[in-house]
Amino acid sequence: MKKLCKLVLVCVLIVSTLTGCSSSNSNKKTLRVYNWGEYVDKSVISAFEKKYDCKVVYETFDSNESMYTKLLGGNKYDVLVPSDYMIERLIKEDLIQEIDWNKISNQASLDNFVFEQASNISDAYWVPYFYGNVGILYDKTIVDEKDLEAGWEILRNETYKGQIYMYNSERDSFMVALKALGYSMNSDNDAEIEEAYQWLVAQKETMNPIYVDDECIDSMRRGEKAMAVMYSGDAAAVMVDNENMAYYLPEEGTNIWFDGFVITKDCAEVDLAHEFINFMISDENAYKNTAEVGYLTANVNAAKKAKNDDFEGISAYSVRTDNENDQIFNYQTPELKEKYSSLWVKVKAQ
Amino acid sequence: MHHFKKLISPYLFVLFLFTLLPMLLIVIYAITISKNEVLTFTITFENFQRFFRDSIFISVLLQSFKLGLITTAICLFIGYPVAYAISLLKEKTQTYLILLITIPTWINLLIRTYSWVSILSSKGILNNFLAKFGIGPLNLLYTDFAVIIGMIYSCLPFMILPIHSSLTKMDQSLHEASMDLGANPMITFLKITFPLSLPGVLTGITMVFLPAISTFVIPKILGGAQYTLIGSFIETQFITIGNWNFGSAVSLILAAFILILMSLMNAADRYTNSGDRDEDETRRLKRYAKK
Amino acid sequence: MRKSKHIPSWLMVVLCLLFLYLPIVVMMIFSFNSTKSTSVFTGFSFRWYQTLFEDNDMMRAVYVSVSIAVIATFVSTVLGTLTAIGLSKTKKVMKEFILQINNLSILNPEIVTAISLMLLFSALNIQKGYMTMLLAHISFCTPFVITNVLPKVRQLDANLADAAMDLGATPFQALWKVIIPQIKPGIFAGALLAFTMSFDDFIISYFVTGNGVQNISIIVYNMSKRTNPSINALSTIVVLVILVVLILSRLLPMLNKKKEKRVQ
Repeated sequence: MKKLCKLVLVCVLIVSTLTGCSSSNSNKKTLRVYNWGEYVDKSVISAFEKKYDCKVVYETFDSNESMYTKLLGGNKYDVLVPSDYMIERLIKEDLIQEIDWNKISNQASLDNFVFEQASNISDAYWVPYFYGNVGILYDKTIVDEKDLEAGWEILRNETYKGQIYMYNSERDSFMVALKALGYSMNSDNDAEIEEAYQWLVAQKETMNPIYVDDECIDSMRRGEKAMAVMYSGDAAAVMVDNENMAYYLPEEGTNIWFDGFVITKDCAEVDLAHEFINFMISDENAYKNTAEVGYLTANVNAAKKAKNDDFEGISAYSVRTDNENDQIFNYQTPELKEKYSSLWVKVKAQ
Repeated sequence: MHHFKKLISPYLFVLFLFTLLPMLLIVIYAITISKNEVLTFTITFENFQRFFRDSIFISVLLQSFKLGLITTAICLFIGYPVAYAISLLKEKTQTYLILLITIPTWINLLIRTYSWVSILSSKGILNNFLAKFGIGPLNLLYTDFAVIIGMIYSCLPFMILPIHSSLTKMDQSLHEASMDLGANPMITFLKITFPLSLPGVLTGITMVFLPAISTFVIPKILGGAQYTLIGSFIETQFITIGNWNFGSAVSLILAAFILILMSLMNAADRYTNSGDRDEDETRRLKRYAKK
Repeated sequence: MRKSKHIPSWLMVVLCLLFLYLPIVVMMIFSFNSTKSTSVFTGFSFRWYQTLFEDNDMMRAVYVSVSIAVIATFVSTVLGTLTAIGLSKTKKVMKEFILQINNLSILNPEIVTAISLMLLFSALNIQKGYMTMLLAHISFCTPFVITNVLPKVRQLDANLADAAMDLGATPFQALWKVIIPQIKPGIFAGALLAFTMSFDDFIISYFVTGNGVQNISIIVYNMSKRTNPSINALSTIVVLVILVVLILSRLLPMLNKKKEKRVQ
């Protein structure tokens, strides 16, 4: 009796393993997409799979760096969605191929503003997806509007001690410090970087900020802290759910960022990749994605619709175009990146 | 019986491929540096020097050890009495209780930790409950308190189970003998029970201390990223910064510290286990004598 | 040892259990919440269970977690048991060497193991995915099986297996009918530990996976932007499955006993 049971168990295991493995061996074409987490409406992916009779292997990452590491570590992908400075790096290191714009029929709907602002990135290589900036999401019922006039320095205003979230990202946090001190966020000047480091250390000691990744989003939805440094799209999503929240952009300037589709050099399905990108930026799908996620889409028609319907009155949804101090992140050499990273570890470990 | 010697060959292969070879790779990365993402083969100890040169890095390591020690100490302080209490009950009850204590470990740790977030956060369950009695919102999340609660929560079963196991393996007649000879319960405990349960205590300490120093997920969720511990430091080196050489060196440093600590533990274990070993030896001698 | 009612003992045990089960009960209650909130209960609803079953990614992740845990447990238990038996007959030098490396596997911080395996797979240019995750799980589960089975093997009376073979049994029969039944508790404990380590694993799986293969832990980790109560629904189901399995494992022996009584 026991032997029979064991035999059955083994058979079941073998069968289930084989079915598990074989489902990926069907004759359908496969497209491997690597995108940010929670950055798409999943029904759009399913619709694409149905329309083009293919399978999309959809993986997610939580930072440009981890995407880059996985890429270098041997994982193979066809389409990636990196940010501006990472696209620069991928171009430099010859890891992505040029886009055949003839295959992107929906390109007319793309906002020119994006290409103008990101002029340092060759538009032969990327198709914009979402863009936004970084600002302070604050609780109107707790924060005094007058305090906001201090710009980024409000994050060191001791009235709000223990009540602020800082983003656990060295580039974003150093950006805040550098801008507060009036320097460029792409600074490679040792003295400026040191000053920014001291700014952040002083902030840690006097304000006791909490360094988080995306956990602050839900927390701010519940209204648990007074302020958070947050990306515009996430802020927009929170503001939809919590009326007490507002979004502030300091006059000193902030970071504007752009995320876009690129095709890897060793892409196995170049045509399908172009179809996918074109599908994602179409009016209908761009709208679905932006409504689901909250980030501003590069498709002007979809953005207009979302602005009027889903994000009416939500200032965080749009990106200001009139501030000269707003900058885009540039590519950092490995040495510079290490410097920032080590200093960031030191700030947190104080 | 020599037939059975061959049984170890498949595992030897597994060990070589999945334990030795990967560790060798880490050692290679640790003693080299990369220029432009390509591994050079110049042997250097620069990575190790860099770690010890900067006092911040050492303080990260020490903070991890501190957290590990506190967690282990509190788990021992709570776990031993609970294990002892369980061992006093009826045998069937003991089995059920041990099962009940094991079940939480089968439920995803991240989910259980997120549950603590919704309990401890300032608009969370605990504060909502306390608000009914007019007690102001307690700032519990993102504090040392929250991190330690989270750590103890995930490690406590692994302290209770080995201690209970060694308490129940004890020869009960020793207790009775001690009582018959006039010792009161306290002395019986101190001189008989506790020393004999030490193997379990040492196992428990090992199973709690190790994950506690190298963890990074729980402190990040319950304490915020300011809890820079050695585990998250290594992860950052590999994933965010991409310096696999430095990351490998730090991994080796951590592994070395742990191995040193563990060999100290093993020495203590062998000292307390000398009693059992004599028993094994005696049995073996008897067997040879019969032959 | 007195086995009577001990009030202070019970109190301590109950408090401990309350502590251990508080987050689990919270999670189970809020899996039935009608809104997304995990701190305010607004109403009873099954919507998160519905979302769970409709979410293909999550169902696939459940399949991955369960199948890898089952297969890894099976393989590592077999491998570990055979190795433990073989080790008891191996020469001291080789035996110590293997046990030391075993120790290294267990004591190594998970992050170091995870990264070393990632380096291995990228150095050998092996495509990461289901197989790499499975191999990684087998390699870290087997040492636990060995450490659980080895003490039992040591306690064995070596003469019994020899006697069986003298009486004409093949080595395999001696193994199957004599040695294994005696070390069953060790094998069972080892298998249980292996399953626990594999099912809940996060760090190692995170670093060695690829090709879209995710287990439950990775999916939960990736869902940090907004709380998704369908994860609570998933865990509640896991708890219920465990309870059902436990109750069945208690009932079956009782049913068998009743059958035996009737036969008599």
